[in-house]
Amino acid sequence: MAVVTAPTDADWRSRIHPVLPWLGGIAVLSLLPLVTRTAYDQYLLNIIAINVLLAVGLNIVKGFAGQVTVGHVAVMAIGAYASAVFSVHLGLPFWLALPAAMAVCAAVGLLVGIPALRLEGAYLALATLGLAESVRIVISGTDWLGAAMGFEGIPPPQIGGFVMETHLRYFFVVMPIAVMGIYISFAILRSDMGRAFKAIREDQLAAAASGVHVAKFKLIAFVLSALYAGCAGSLKAHMAPGYLNPNDYSLQEMVTLLLMVIFGGIGHIWGAVIGAIAVTIINDLTQDYYTYRMAIFGGVIVLTVMYMPRGIGGMVEDWLVRRRFAALRAATKARQATP
Amino acid sequence: MNLLEITGLSKRFGGFRALSGIDLTVRQGAVHGIIGPNGSGKSTLFNMISGVYPPEPGSRIVFDGTDITGRPSHEIARLGVARTFQMLRIFEGMSVIENMMVGHHGLTGYSPLSAVFGVKSVRHEERRVRGEMMELLAFIGLADYAEMPAGEMSGGQRRLLALGRAMAARPKLLMLDEPGAGLSPPNVDILLDTVRALQKRFGLTVIIIEHILKLVMDTCETVTVLEHGEKIAEGTPAEISADHRVIEAYLGREMLDEEVRSFLRAP
Amino acid sequence: MAIGKWALLAAPLLALAAIPAQAQAQEGVIRIGVTLRMVVENGLKYGQMVKDEFDAVNAAGGINGRKIEVQLLDDECKPDKGVSNVNRFIHQTQVDLIIGSTCSSVSMPMVDIVTKEAIPMIIPQSTNQDLTKKGSPWVFRVPVSERFYAAVHAKWLAENVGKKVAYLVTTDTAGIGFAKQYQVYMKKAYNVDPVIEVQAQETDLDFRAALLKIKSMNPDVLAIGGQADAIARVSQQSFEVGIPSRVRRVAASAASNAPVPELGGDAVKGLIYAAAFNCNDERPEAQAFVKMTQTRYNVRCPDHDFSQAYDTVQIVKQALKAASLKLNAGSHAADRLAIRDALAGIKDFRGLASGPINFCAEPTPQCRDGNRTGILVEYTKGGKDYETRVLARVSFEADFGL
Repeated sequence: MAVVTAPTDADWRSRIHPVLPWLGGIAVLSLLPLVTRTAYDQYLLNIIAINVLLAVGLNIVKGFAGQVTVGHVAVMAIGAYASAVFSVHLGLPFWLALPAAMAVCAAVGLLVGIPALRLEGAYLALATLGLAESVRIVISGTDWLGAAMGFEGIPPPQIGGFVMETHLRYFFVVMPIAVMGIYISFAILRSDMGRAFKAIREDQLAAAASGVHVAKFKLIAFVLSALYAGCAGSLKAHMAPGYLNPNDYSLQEMVTLLLMVIFGGIGHIWGAVIGAIAVTIINDLTQDYYTYRMAIFGGVIVLTVMYMPRGIGGMVEDWLVRRRFAALRAATKARQATP
Repeated sequence: MNLLEITGLSKRFGGFRALSGIDLTVRQGAVHGIIGPNGSGKSTLFNMISGVYPPEPGSRIVFDGTDITGRPSHEIARLGVARTFQMLRIFEGMSVIENMMVGHHGLTGYSPLSAVFGVKSVRHEERRVRGEMMELLAFIGLADYAEMPAGEMSGGQRRLLALGRAMAARPKLLMLDEPGAGLSPPNVDILLDTVRALQKRFGLTVIIIEHILKLVMDTCETVTVLEHGEKIAEGTPAEISADHRVIEAYLGREMLDEEVRSFLRAP
Repeated sequence: MAIGKWALLAAPLLALAAIPAQAQAQEGVIRIGVTLRMVVENGLKYGQMVKDEFDAVNAAGGINGRKIEVQLLDDECKPDKGVSNVNRFIHQTQVDLIIGSTCSSVSMPMVDIVTKEAIPMIIPQSTNQDLTKKGSPWVFRVPVSERFYAAVHAKWLAENVGKKVAYLVTTDTAGIGFAKQYQVYMKKAYNVDPVIEVQAQETDLDFRAALLKIKSMNPDVLAIGGQADAIARVSQQSFEVGIPSRVRRVAASAASNAPVPELGGDAVKGLIYAAAFNCNDERPEAQAFVKMTQTRYNVRCPDHDFSQAYDTVQIVKQALKAASLKLNAGSHAADRLAIRDALAGIKDFRGLASGPINFCAEPTPQCRDGNRTGILVEYTKGGKDYETRVLARVSFEADFGL
């Protein structure tokens, strides 16, 4: 019989508040601008931070709750435009526009989630695709949102007297938010709720039979991921030059976003983070080779799906599982072989 | 005292009558077997009790004094009805301990918001749940596999895990849908021992649907026989094996196997 | 395990830092960042043309002995990409001049960035009028601003055909914008209201009822606002209901799209639209250009995206020649300023555009919308092997219609 070792209070991990290591992470990452070569690298870091938020959010609904959605980019667009409207038309400062935009997105997430109660797989993808495209088209045709010419003049955030308009300063807005986003994702997904999401992904019938309120948790997953998309959208809106255009929220962006999550490994929080970083950097490095860029990008997608269907996270997990359980499994086999 | 009282339970799928007017009573603490040929409505009965299908008018299911007719699955589960599935439906992409912890979902008491704020009680609760689930895993002999992805386990281990996950909810009523299917005879014995041990330890009421008649006859105090969605007999294993309608129902089928025949011939 | 994860996370960031920084040190080189929409096949070709033109300059010894380094990037008509490219030009490559872009929606945020960072930018293809209205001292525009387009046909039609205009407009942005600008110009210049305006849905197939109504008003001009399909159908059905051919048909810029003559057939004969360039332009410089694009880039009939990209390069060459540049490590700001002022000094540039291109120092549309001459293109034959000709060239004063 195995010896059951329950974690004890003596374990240092259980004595510190779980957010502390993450604050440490923020402190370490704050040094990152020291190693950047130019302001362009800082700009790229900011884009990475926004993409990390997006991917981590998508990972909640897609990776954990297992719900197909291609509407995530549209929710981001709604967050971005909501934040822009709140700050430009209503004069709210960034620090109020951001939560307000997230609240709008939460409501949208609820709406997107409702079809998910009845639809699955490809049908749900189609429903969310319809939403995504209609958001883009509606924005393109709405004059007070700048229509096809875009929404201009969204002010940068201010902290005290500091206007966060340079890439360097904006880094200190987006990076801590992104890190906290990852932390919250961890806190939620490693809790009872995260297990409920995964159970829904694995088997809805069995999840319900285990007492999981499937409909409720599906909606919560959509709302949570919409909150992330809204936060990312708002951060995008207020980043220099403070300009939004519906063209930047099309299916192409959605595919890129899906690639981040798939490349990183569906259902792995670190996977989504690594995927967002890797895909953003690949995207940037291939920019000079515009003739082949699409081919390179398509190649990465195909190779990932063919040889790494569970992404980097899946590969790491497989490796860990193999290493950890090889001996155990061999022992079991040996026991079965000798009656 | 009766834990489960079912009256007039009917279900129709299109033109097919899966269940017609079933009455069933399960005593507190009993191990109740349900047998019947394929398509006789056994699994439908489970699905109705656990709230997978909405019932038809006139049906009534009372569990532990509460009318659960038409309630959603997760509510019924939280009232203390746990079940396994014929196809197991374990969460293959999750670790063994996570499967167990999902089973305990209804009894895990903290809000996700407090998890975000890192409240200390959350960590205590997580530790409690993990600890209790490890004990339960140890009880069913899977403690070594706690961190293993459930999809990596062997068939017998999966059956045990399905049983463990159902037990994780600390149910009053445990419904086992063909727990012995696909198991080798020694494994059936292991499973039976585990079920009996669990039942004793936790004071469970158990309903077993089974094809393996030996399993039912050895374990159950009362057996209900279904055929074509109707209850054709009910009684102790001895009474059932003497019931001419049961013999007819089984003998009238070509699918009758050697096991059934030898069982029915036995005194 | 936890450390492994952190390492995985840190690896790409370290990789980013490990990529060698662009060789910045090379002095005496003029750096130009070019961002264009190149996702379409023609885009790749005019992008290549821009690069080739500067390479030819280098092969001939450079400008005032200085070599030119071009960084050509695709923005896919995505504003985010355009912003990313411009950030790269400014902070990483540290260019002295930016050329871009094709889509107005991309040029829009670019204008804000170059204004803040004080870098000259010349727009080769975007036509939206707001680009130069923003008042940036760093921005110049080569193509005809859209505010001229409607006026080009309005003026010519009023002077040569008549002022009684009937409008048939589908309710999409292009259609509504076309009709509105035409009407505003007619009101302003001649104080004339439309004789009739009929709105139709974008998806309509049968416009005959509306056209019969228009016929009864006996207009001089039938203005058709909408996308290519609608323009072709309306042209056809206008003859079916018996609107005579002396009534001039004029359409929105979508009329230049191939489906119009292909679907419309003979009915498009005589249909006119405003444009900036036409490959049947008979001027020798235009024909030489068409021949060049045919042999070098295998383009049968280069459109104004090509001609304007070409003109932009020639203007940049001329400005760089006139600017006195130091091009050393500390001279960035001064060099950028010098290039800007040299661009503002471009006067009476004669290129493929139908009229002269002039820039001046004031950050106003009058100074920075260089080209004020549009052409009117007429279909002389419909069907698959359609033909067009340049019907007229119409120039405007710089401060028209602001």
